[in-house]
Amino acid sequence: MPARIPFWNIEAAWVFYLLAALALALFGLGLALNLARWRPGFAWGGFRAARLKAVLADALLGRRIWRGDVAAGLMHALILLGFLGLFLGTCLVALDHYLVSFLQGRLYLATSALWEVCGLALTIGLAWALVRRYLLRVPRLERRPADALLPAWLLAIALSGFLVEAARIAASGADWERWSFLGWGLSGLFGPASAPAAHAVLWWVHAGLSLGLIAWLPYSRLFHALAAPVNLYFQDEPQALADLSLPPDQVREFSHRHFLALDACTRCGRCVEACPSARAGEPLAPRGFVQDARRYTRLKYSLLARIPWLRQRQRQELSTRPTIDPAQAWYCTTCAACAEVCPVQAGPIELIRQVRSSLVEQGSTVPPLLAQSLERLAKYQNPWLAKKGQKAAWAKGLDLPDLAKGDQAGLLYFVGCTTSLDTRAQGLAKGLSAVLEHCGVEFGTLGKAEPCCGDIARRVGENGLFEEQREDLSGLLADIGVREVVTSSPHCHRSLSHDYALARVRDGLAGPLPFRARHYSQVLAELVDQGRLVFPDGLAVKATFHDPCYLARHTGEVRAPRRVLGAIPGLELVEMADHGRNGLCCGGGGGRMWHELPGQGHLARARLEQAVATGASLVVTACPLCLIMLEDARKAGGFEDRLAVRDLNEVVCLALGLEGGANPF
Amino acid sequence: MEILVLAKQVPETAEADLEITRDGADVEREDLVYTINEWDNYAVEEAVRLKEEHGGAVTVLTLGDEEAEDVLRRGLAMGCDQAIHLNDEAFLGSDPATVVRAMVKALGGRRFDLILCGVQSADQGQGQTGVLLAQALGLPYASLAVGLKLVEGGLVITRELEANTLEEVALPLPALVTVQSGLNQPRYVSIMGIRKVRGMAIEGHDAEGLDLAGQVGPEAACLAARRLSLPETGAGAEILSGSLEAVCARAAGIIREKGGLK
Repeated sequence: MPARIPFWNIEAAWVFYLLAALALALFGLGLALNLARWRPGFAWGGFRAARLKAVLADALLGRRIWRGDVAAGLMHALILLGFLGLFLGTCLVALDHYLVSFLQGRLYLATSALWEVCGLALTIGLAWALVRRYLLRVPRLERRPADALLPAWLLAIALSGFLVEAARIAASGADWERWSFLGWGLSGLFGPASAPAAHAVLWWVHAGLSLGLIAWLPYSRLFHALAAPVNLYFQDEPQALADLSLPPDQVREFSHRHFLALDACTRCGRCVEACPSARAGEPLAPRGFVQDARRYTRLKYSLLARIPWLRQRQRQELSTRPTIDPAQAWYCTTCAACAEVCPVQAGPIELIRQVRSSLVEQGSTVPPLLAQSLERLAKYQNPWLAKKGQKAAWAKGLDLPDLAKGDQAGLLYFVGCTTSLDTRAQGLAKGLSAVLEHCGVEFGTLGKAEPCCGDIARRVGENGLFEEQREDLSGLLADIGVREVVTSSPHCHRSLSHDYALARVRDGLAGPLPFRARHYSQVLAELVDQGRLVFPDGLAVKATFHDPCYLARHTGEVRAPRRVLGAIPGLELVEMADHGRNGLCCGGGGGRMWHELPGQGHLARARLEQAVATGASLVVTACPLCLIMLEDARKAGGFEDRLAVRDLNEVVCLALGLEGGANPF
Repeated sequence: MEILVLAKQVPETAEADLEITRDGADVEREDLVYTINEWDNYAVEEAVRLKEEHGGAVTVLTLGDEEAEDVLRRGLAMGCDQAIHLNDEAFLGSDPATVVRAMVKALGGRRFDLILCGVQSADQGQGQTGVLLAQALGLPYASLAVGLKLVEGGLVITRELEANTLEEVALPLPALVTVQSGLNQPRYVSIMGIRKVRGMAIEGHDAEGLDLAGQVGPEAACLAARRLSLPETGAGAEILSGSLEAVCARAAGIIREKGGLK
């Protein structure tokens, strides 16, 4: 009857068991070392079906790997499913051999055929991986010695597996072995006389390579196979805010979520292609940063360092080996392009923020201009050089209700520091006020009492300052009893909705935030949907929309601004090469609006090049920072004759004829 | 190395629209933000750097009211080890000689290898406290330091003189050095950093405890502010007004006229 005879033709099986024990011991040690890093702060938090679904879709089916790169998705699927099939097959054989015998007859033949398919998939997938990396030379892939070793090793396992099978078939010659169709085809390579000896040699090679892989796995990049699913499972777990209740010396540099993400990274390099900073030739490369952090934290938080003599070595290595380059951390615009494309949700925004926190606390390497802006924020509640009274100066003559002074209105317009204080960005505030008034929406502001929401402090890692600003604003909003907030800036919006909610959870407060914060584009889109914002005349112009990162990616809102633009008759909307959730950052986020860095690139200029390529004459955006960055680039980069840059509100005002004058485009 | 550094709390005036009080003796302080005197900030940074490099301890001292404690907390957050607060509203309005007398009493014979302070304060700008303290303690001193090097047997100080001249002087320790701005790049002090030192003890002294009751403050001062006034707009200055575009166009025109743009 067709069946597998384990250890057929193999002498001294005890050697195999010895090697297997060794491999498992090394595997166990590696696993323990990794889990030890994950453990502090780790909370299971109960089973959630939605999380499991995300793991199945993103890990097993590789949804995020297929996205944007079908060739990579197919390669990964072939390798993963081939590998998993063969791994399960080996488990079945072990089960059959050691516990219950069931792999016989037709069942055995069917599974044999299936293993052939899996082996073939694995082989094709690995060959394809090597072709992509070394022949097609896909730019985002690295070509270091270790990058060849892992796929080559796996390929050697697959090929030696087929050869062992072929030699076995050549030696035993049973007719039902045809079901192992590849082995059957290859069996002609071996003569009946030499087959048994060749089989024994190949068997040991195959076994050695396989056990070697098991031993190596937790130390290699293949560990992502275990870490990535775990990271995907916890992807929606809030990244911890600074725990203010802990004594300062117990606050950890990194949390388990950072370690999980570091271990999940496969160095695929999609983040490098997406990162606006890296694209502009700046020194930050997200992948490199992650890998440096991974090396550094693996060394620094190693379980082995508890052994005294290894501790000595660890200290020595920490002091001599290059670690994270902290200067790189300041280049990140926190635009989340890396997170958007990362197949394993390991984009390093939070890691970078954490590194920034350490730098801010240490103090001496904070870029001087940024330090100045933060000091101003602490003193004057805005990062610009302005005293508090000036925050309401833009609204002089508008006679808006001042909720901080007891006036009543259903909607609070949170203007934000940049929009109230920067002369260019004030156009946004004036525009929105005019539009809301036109639509009959009652709203008020906080006048000159409006504090900063704390966004800049949070993005650059000044956690204490963020908390101060948040407490001030939350207190003020609670005192007034605000329920509805509309913001100028997607940054304030993100802060007020997401970061304030996280802080609420951290502080153990029950229930959602007492107010709902929306970005103004969402309010305008609602007014369009309700038929309250209509455009009788329209505006003839070919326009393109620059998605603010904090609106499109951080908040996931790409529809609202397009809904508003789409409602304007005569306005033709064309899209840039990178748009929506894949929009390209203007370079103003993450605190970069407030400082200059050595070797700083022209991020906004690269964006305007894309806008020019669409043939549009107008770039519309919906964020004060984008507005300033793009406007500056327009002037400095020689785009003045080709493009106009406007805030969405300004365009709406023009289309409504609230501005007066002719179509300027 | 034991270092003492003096730090004063001053109102931030660089960006403020200063208004004179009705009696003309002071500026309106209501809307002003208080912070560490810029020059003293460089002194604190230098003291902490010296400690980080050569070991020892840094004590930071201020004289002022309750609020002035912020300056000490800031100093502790930057890396100072101890803080002394001459904390009494009665001290406000004292002249430099009185301030120094109070400091000497509060120090009570404690010895330091080096005393650092700003060359002057941003509010009064008399530039006397440092040198008077050196005199009172019988220490050699150097003023206007833009460079400070610890060498065998003492210090080498680079002083900033007039017309871009630098002077290098050697001082034996113990000594006092007053610090010019730009000596270093002071570190950023985070809110968390300040929170961390919230619990550290601060040594406090009031006028009575120092046997100085009645001998400090404006009454005991050898000079009194009679009247403050804002500088008058000179004839050489032209204040542009009008819309932003008009102002910019005019400014660009002037720059071009004067040969600033070729």
